[in-house]
Amino acid sequence: MLFPTVEYGLFFLCVLAIAWSLYRLPRAHKAFLLLASYAFYGFWNWTYLPLLIGISLFAGLVAQRIQRTSSARARKTWLIAGVTVCLAALAYFKYTGFLLTSLLAVWGNFAPEPHIPVASPLLPLGVSFFVFHAISLLADCHRGKVKEPVKLGDALLYVAFFPQLIAGPILRASRFLPQLAAPPPPAPPRSSPLSLLIFGPLYPILCAARYMPRLSVRPYLKSMRVNRAFLLIIGGLFKKVVISNMLATRLVEPVFSVPHAYGRWDTLLAIYGYAAQIYCDFSGYTDIAIGCALLLGYRFPRNFNAPYKSASPQEFWRRWHISLSTWLRDYLYFPLGGSRRGSLRTCVNLMITMLLGGLWHGAAWTFVAWGGLHGLYLITHRLWNRMDWPPLVEARSSTAWLWTSRILLFHAVCVGWVFFRASSFEIAFDVFRRLGAGGAATLATGPVCLVLFLGLAGQYLPQRWRNGFEVQLGRWPALARGAALAVALALIEFLGPSGVAPFIYFQF
Amino acid sequence: MQNFKLKHSIRQMFLAVAGFVVGISLLESGGLANWAGRMEPGVLRSVAVPVAATLNKVLLPLRVGAIREGALDELARIGWTDDAARLARRNPTATRAARVSAAARTAPAPPGPAPALIAAATAPVVLSVPRITNLSPLAPVAQGKPRVVGLTGDSMMAVGLSATLMRLAADDHNLRIVRAFRSGTGLARPDVFNWMDEYPAMVGVDKPDIVIVAIGANDGQGFIVDGKVQLFGTEEWRKTYQSRVAGYLAMVESGGAHVVWVGLPPMRLPTYNARIAVINRIVYTVVSHDPRATWLSSASFVADESGEFREFAALANGRTMRLRAEDGIHFSDDGAGLMSSVLVKWLDPPLEAANTRGPAKPASSAQANPVAIALQANPVGATLSRRGGQNTNQFVKASPALHDLSLADTANDQRKLEEAKSSLRTAAADPLSRRSLP
Repeated sequence: MLFPTVEYGLFFLCVLAIAWSLYRLPRAHKAFLLLASYAFYGFWNWTYLPLLIGISLFAGLVAQRIQRTSSARARKTWLIAGVTVCLAALAYFKYTGFLLTSLLAVWGNFAPEPHIPVASPLLPLGVSFFVFHAISLLADCHRGKVKEPVKLGDALLYVAFFPQLIAGPILRASRFLPQLAAPPPPAPPRSSPLSLLIFGPLYPILCAARYMPRLSVRPYLKSMRVNRAFLLIIGGLFKKVVISNMLATRLVEPVFSVPHAYGRWDTLLAIYGYAAQIYCDFSGYTDIAIGCALLLGYRFPRNFNAPYKSASPQEFWRRWHISLSTWLRDYLYFPLGGSRRGSLRTCVNLMITMLLGGLWHGAAWTFVAWGGLHGLYLITHRLWNRMDWPPLVEARSSTAWLWTSRILLFHAVCVGWVFFRASSFEIAFDVFRRLGAGGAATLATGPVCLVLFLGLAGQYLPQRWRNGFEVQLGRWPALARGAALAVALALIEFLGPSGVAPFIYFQF
Repeated sequence: MQNFKLKHSIRQMFLAVAGFVVGISLLESGGLANWAGRMEPGVLRSVAVPVAATLNKVLLPLRVGAIREGALDELARIGWTDDAARLARRNPTATRAARVSAAARTAPAPPGPAPALIAAATAPVVLSVPRITNLSPLAPVAQGKPRVVGLTGDSMMAVGLSATLMRLAADDHNLRIVRAFRSGTGLARPDVFNWMDEYPAMVGVDKPDIVIVAIGANDGQGFIVDGKVQLFGTEEWRKTYQSRVAGYLAMVESGGAHVVWVGLPPMRLPTYNARIAVINRIVYTVVSHDPRATWLSSASFVADESGEFREFAALANGRTMRLRAEDGIHFSDDGAGLMSSVLVKWLDPPLEAANTRGPAKPASSAQANPVAIALQANPVGATLSRRGGQNTNQFVKASPALHDLSLADTANDQRKLEEAKSSLRTAAADPLSRRSLP
């Protein structure tokens, strides 16, 4: 089930109503959310539900075992065993074909390739994400960051919770499980005639199950920032449906399909376009996820923070796909030794982390090249930062330096995106070659340039504007806020293309 | 104060959600009705359709739909939308040009295909689809007059195949590609996307000499005709779908274009694969009745020796490559490239190759066609074909011919498969009896 669909809209409204109706019965509430998550996942292809349940069940059991074991060595053994199984599942489903073909290709350089029938299993949706969630659960339990004993049901819900299931953000077990363990939030709305009208059909079912709590109102709930949730959902939909789709279909796809049919201006625009497209696509999707979770009473971490405002590779990775970069940092870079074992080892650790991060994005060498390029950027910048020549240090604090760095970094990131988007190295190098070719800009229509501008420059909007708008929105009556949300949604549907382009991050 | 403004009770949230539900019902009742109407027949649909239709009927006096249509036309006018049919409707110049183009396309149409396609629309469906198909040699492209090639279809064309074809044709001044494909479409659901309207608008003033079609991956579903549900695979469904395929084919070739219909390859999931096999049989039935259309079996490029799905293959150059995308449905670039390289070399034959063939045959029944085509599909065996006087089968090893996937006729298929293998053994023994490849 995709977020920007009618199916998901109806699904979410039902889940919202029932989940809050069950809020005073934490077990029923969580059980319902778990079932809803499985329904959400199974809507695409139910055959992979056993894998999702199996991975999360396994991780939950091993996490419990780790928590109960006092011996450090045994805990580590359990951790290694658990992580190995999780990674083996990921490797099997995602990398079998890639590994076998790569091995055969290497073999083929020295001798004729043996005729081995190569096949790979169908890639389950979101497998990279739920495996990383499972590993986070194991690692956080091993490090003692999860204070309370892990309940199996909570572990299952943590891995499968539907807003983050398909494309993140990647939650930390240590931060999400306490939310599940927290006492139930305040009561749902009074049974007003309006709510009875809307949710009426559900009441007999709930009452019959003795799950219907007495409805009362307590006007506080610290985690409920309804306006923020609405803004996140609407902003996310706009980025995903309008900006990303238009850039994908009218600028990026034509150029990356046939690079040598376009000149330098089209190619340059397509590269910028892809930078905007992937940002809007992915950040839009996770914004919707965060907004939906917020309406259900759960907090997800922020996943993007205006990444193209970054002035250095380090800053970029603190702003881009934050939940993944911090996951890689905490569970891969730090265990490798981080920056504590000398310069050379730091560089090696950085490169390993980024190469594996690239491979996580896709089973192809172009993704590895993308990761390697970012590893190179990080290492180069680290070495560059060591230069402490006084005039240089002084210049680094100037505004001109900041903007120069931003522009340079943005273009360096764009170089990486070419490898990320291209289906092969041949296409990627074709794209680069076309930057030197003549020809007019045939794809630069007004609407395309406008959405490209919005996609890139939108990141420079001050944060206080959004906060201010959130406050202003709070002064409206609740019904009017909902109506405004409906108008905004209708406008997005109206401005969006008739079909929805495939979501880029599904494949990861 | 600020806290109060930022943080809300659940009651407020529900009120806001209620406001949203009311607002979206008012603004999008038409869209909801359309969405419900587009659902596949089933329980959900039977609930959603009456609810959405009633809502839409009640809110009709508000005329939201009419306002919306007007605004969409304005968006089309300023170039916001790329909806070809709407653009064609709204742009008088383009509409005029399209009319002229349509007239031009219709004028030279030979009289032959129409009755053939009428017969094809009702012909009994074949039991099996051949894997080997010949593309009879084309005449060389005339100097200064590039051959216009239309690419149309759904994601089977959009993913992999179109890109590789366009890439190969980009540096070829003898070929001009016209894009007329769109993902997520098909022939089963004209209520969702009507190719009969969209194709002429997409092609516009261009007049393809040859149209390559790859479509049908989304058509394994039931639909509703005159309020009656036609479930996939039933006889009535088959009749409707077959007539739609025939109508689509007649439209695509209405300006005298020759059509190369790329058959759907075997799919990874067995249930889906069975449906695709049914679609292939229906489409092949129609295409094989039309002398101006050629069936090109994609299975012969990407399937294994027994005609089953394979994701990777060791090619003739010794390297193992991915032939299919990870979804088990679409072609990978390498898999599509196998077909594209054959097609592009066929579309623009080298002059020396044409010379070795001798002068192009004078057109007879296909005089108006830009190419002379002979469909020589052999349902059970590999056929003979050589291009340019040399066998250049570089990519795909000769393989058995049949891969009919009809679940109802497996015994018969097994027999035919054995025949095909026998035929192949004979064919393989003869160096001339290799399938035509570049």
